[in-house]
Amino acid sequence: MPFHPRPRRLAQLALTVALVAFLAACGQDHPDTIFHHRTDVNRDVDYLFKILIYAGTAVFIFVEAILVWTLFKFRARPGQPEPEHVHGNTTLEIAWTVIPLLILIVIGIPTVKTIFKQQAAARSDALQVEVIGHQWWWEFRYPQFTMRSASGKLDTVVTANELYLPLGKTVNFTLKSRDVIHSFWVPALAGKRDLIANHTNYLWYTPDSTTSDAFNGACVEYCGTSHANMRFKAFTVSQADFDSWVAHQEAPAEGAVAVGTPISPDSAAKAAAPRSPLGSQIDPNKNLAAGSTQAGPTVPSSGKAGVGVPPSPGAVNTQVTQAGFVAFPREKMPAYTVPSTPLPAALKFDDNVLASGNAANGAKLVATGMCIACHTVRGVPTMQATVGPNLTHVGSRTTIAAGLYPNDPRHLARWVKNANEMKAGVGMNTFGIGEYDPITKSTVKIGFTDAQIADIVAYLSSLK
Amino acid sequence: MATAAVSPSYARTSSGSPSGIWSWLTTVDHKRIGTLYLYTALAWFAVGGTEAVIMRMQLQGPNGRVVSAEVFNQLFTMHGTTMIFLVVMPLSAAFFNFLIPLQIGARDVAFPRLNAFSYWVYLFGSLFMNASWLVGMAPNGGWFGYAPLTTLPYSPGLNIDFWMLGLQILGVSSLAAAFNFITTIINMRAPGMNLMRMPMFTWMAFVVQFLLVLAFPVITIALVFLQFDRFFGTNFYTITQGADPLLWQHLFWIFGHPEVYILILPAFGLVSEILPTFSRKPIFGYPVMVYSGILIAFLGFGVWAHHMFAVGMGPIADSVFSMTTMLIAIPTGVKIFNWIFTMWGGNLRFTVAMKFAISLVALFTIGGISGVMHASPPADLQQTDTYFIVAHFHYVLVAGSLMGLWGGIYYYFPKITGRLLSEKIGNWHFWLTFIGVNLTFMPMHWSGLYGMPRRVYTYDAGQGWEIFNLMSSTGAYLQALAGIIFAYNIFRSRTHGEIAGNDPWEAPSLEWSIPSPPPDYNFETIPTVTSRYPLWDIKHPELTASVPHSRHGDERNDVSLGGKHVGAFHDHMAAGTPEGGLNPNATQASSKVSLKTAEELGIPMPYPTIKPLWVALFMTLMFASLLLIHKDKLPLAMAGVVTFATLMTGFLYAWLTAPLEPHHH
Repeated sequence: MPFHPRPRRLAQLALTVALVAFLAACGQDHPDTIFHHRTDVNRDVDYLFKILIYAGTAVFIFVEAILVWTLFKFRARPGQPEPEHVHGNTTLEIAWTVIPLLILIVIGIPTVKTIFKQQAAARSDALQVEVIGHQWWWEFRYPQFTMRSASGKLDTVVTANELYLPLGKTVNFTLKSRDVIHSFWVPALAGKRDLIANHTNYLWYTPDSTTSDAFNGACVEYCGTSHANMRFKAFTVSQADFDSWVAHQEAPAEGAVAVGTPISPDSAAKAAAPRSPLGSQIDPNKNLAAGSTQAGPTVPSSGKAGVGVPPSPGAVNTQVTQAGFVAFPREKMPAYTVPSTPLPAALKFDDNVLASGNAANGAKLVATGMCIACHTVRGVPTMQATVGPNLTHVGSRTTIAAGLYPNDPRHLARWVKNANEMKAGVGMNTFGIGEYDPITKSTVKIGFTDAQIADIVAYLSSLK
Repeated sequence: MATAAVSPSYARTSSGSPSGIWSWLTTVDHKRIGTLYLYTALAWFAVGGTEAVIMRMQLQGPNGRVVSAEVFNQLFTMHGTTMIFLVVMPLSAAFFNFLIPLQIGARDVAFPRLNAFSYWVYLFGSLFMNASWLVGMAPNGGWFGYAPLTTLPYSPGLNIDFWMLGLQILGVSSLAAAFNFITTIINMRAPGMNLMRMPMFTWMAFVVQFLLVLAFPVITIALVFLQFDRFFGTNFYTITQGADPLLWQHLFWIFGHPEVYILILPAFGLVSEILPTFSRKPIFGYPVMVYSGILIAFLGFGVWAHHMFAVGMGPIADSVFSMTTMLIAIPTGVKIFNWIFTMWGGNLRFTVAMKFAISLVALFTIGGISGVMHASPPADLQQTDTYFIVAHFHYVLVAGSLMGLWGGIYYYFPKITGRLLSEKIGNWHFWLTFIGVNLTFMPMHWSGLYGMPRRVYTYDAGQGWEIFNLMSSTGAYLQALAGIIFAYNIFRSRTHGEIAGNDPWEAPSLEWSIPSPPPDYNFETIPTVTSRYPLWDIKHPELTASVPHSRHGDERNDVSLGGKHVGAFHDHMAAGTPEGGLNPNATQASSKVSLKTAEELGIPMPYPTIKPLWVALFMTLMFASLLLIHKDKLPLAMAGVVTFATLMTGFLYAWLTAPLEPHHH
């Protein structure tokens, strides 16, 4: 039928546009691709994936080629005799039953091998990390690293939304959930595994690239309102940097010492006084830079980091410098790991007051305010709750709100003021006076002013 | 619809074709019920499509601000639920209703009033579930509704109640219809229409009814557990009481995977009708097509846990479900090849219906191949819950099911209304759909492999996902445009379309031997069938000479074994003396033939009745009353349940004690 409807030309146009777009896309970076092979597990997956994609592409081309050829070859032409009625062909039908079966065997054998390999028990000398899913944030616990607090309580290194892994060492994740089902995934490192209440799941792999790196991770099982906002960062660093990081995490937060009960005005002042709030504690880049210039992630920590770096007037964060590597250096974080979530337009905060934030005041507000209902700051006796993320070293983290915003005073202040406006459905109350709190369904009357929030931000930022 | 103005192929008497809204509310005619299903499902398609377009607007660029997280979650939950339960299943049901009796040579389904009841339950159930939008509490737990997210501590609102009660209501509709069609197909085939002579659509419909009957009770149980948890404080899914959240997942997917075949097999059936007609060749390997359909359905019950490779079932379960899943690719692949070889050597006429059918073959293949990729658990763990999966199942359900269903609508619209859909407008519809579908779903393979999780209302910039999302959104807008054109085509062609005649496509099966639209009694005389292609026997006996025939309708058909036919051939057909009630001239556009009414012919037709509608309405209200429990009005809820249950039972009693049709004489 010589019938060329105009809409068919759309198809040619669309094909051209699609090709151009794909070529454009190929030039882009794909930082979260599953095709990074930074672990043993991902290389095995890639091997399987290649078999699948090659076999699939071959089948695709074969089927579509026959189809398209049939369409061109056998289209009705005027005066054509009636086609012969063929009802089947047993040989052919057996062929296209058996050949797919053979292809499936080729896929099936390495599949089963890989399943058993990846689900075998992890090496006994593996680093153990407990991953606990919460709506909507991640708790990472390192049970092999424990320490006793002043009161004799046994504590574990625990952090939130940031995962540090040593290169070259197998890590065994123990996956649990406190509430609904979540799923733990760093695409560049390995496939995902669900976190399920009343179940314990395991996942292990060995990050084995030669350089340290930062990766995006995400929750990939729908877990309610802010499922899309349940992200995290994974940092792979050298063993030495990792050790240094652990040592730092084991210590109480530097700022926390100052507010250990009873809060001595002296020590609080000592901790807070030297800081020009915006200059040092508020700008984590600076401190981190100080810590990392000497002990970058690939350079084994000498334990003497800081030597040779002229300490900036504000950079007196002694623990940071003593510990060497304490956090992944922000200036080394690739752009795609720095969140660019826009601030909610409706939420106003006077950024000018941040400059005058007083960490000592903030420490008191935190240790005596509603924060104690949910958060822990190790070393502060009133701060022992485990509902929300552990804040002991919150100042050293690169993001807040489960990877949703960069950890800087502007974002932190708004977070404290009205977390619900910043992240839908979040369990944290609103603290800004005059703001609406969807949890209590009322406007906040007893809360913090912007100036008080600036103090709290100064304190939290000091918890390196 | 079949009012006097749009019944062009013959002049109807008023008694033969009552019109007006009351006639539609009381109808028990399978063709009218099919028509109701068709237009209702198309209306919900507009709703579900709009939901998709809003989501694509939100995801068009990073950090979108079109809708909030909560609204987005409601949108994707309702998009999935709507498209599966309110669009694809009822569209299939529209064809089951309209076609099964016509294809097997029957006057109606086995239980005409139960059939009306199924439709009304579907309508009220769909309205109930969507009423949640009006109170701002649309379901938000995903179409899969994983516990414990759907349990009371994590979803205290009415959202999940609307969802689970709505699904329970819709389940009643599907089950009632399934039993009805099974009974119809087993008992009401015309003489000679033995199972291996049934048209492929009826065969696939038959298989689907068994899937429904076996799969729906499982989700019913899962939902009853959830209802008891939410309403009465039981602990089937309460994690604080030690419940295992995987209970829901296993129950859900034991239903959920067969559900996939419930959605795709009717479309496969339609394609198996369309391809032979427009190739002017019989289906290639009829018995194998039948067996592969049955095999797909059977294996479909043994693969459910491939939706759960990430939950940690252990290596043995993972391996077993991986293997069974791969196996299911074999009968599916057989179908693809048999379709292609149906066209091979034919005279292909590229009507719009044919184009849609070919698209299913071409594009479903893509969904099938990505399906095999998921069957390998280690690879699946990198793919599941990303946009790669979204791409996969939209290639199955949009490029597969919907393409087949659209083709079916273009093919059967003339039989339903008496007028052809415009091919010119249809071509725009087809090409925009074809481009839109590929532009939407093909880039999702990449966004998924590049790490984009699914079910996210937003994503950050700089992840390399922007271009793919922009393409997907553009494709979605094209699909929306295609949908508008489709609606216009239906609207216009109902009154201005070319008059179809009995058999506009020169098709082989029984439904094309009767007028378009068919009279309420379908067949003046019940035909006697002697082969798989009764109309081709009449019009082109030389073409069906090699098909096994029987001399008499009630003889067993012969089976083709090893490519050799055994048994009698149809010399009587070649002599031009067809048996039974098939009118050799039926295929002429007999526009002025005056048909007799059922009464004149002495055919007893079931009485119209409103009672199934009332029973359906009160059943829906009975379920809806349970919502009040969560408004802390338990006594009121119970009063509602008792009242509506009483009314439902009363009308059911009236229905069951009223005679179905005049007594036979």
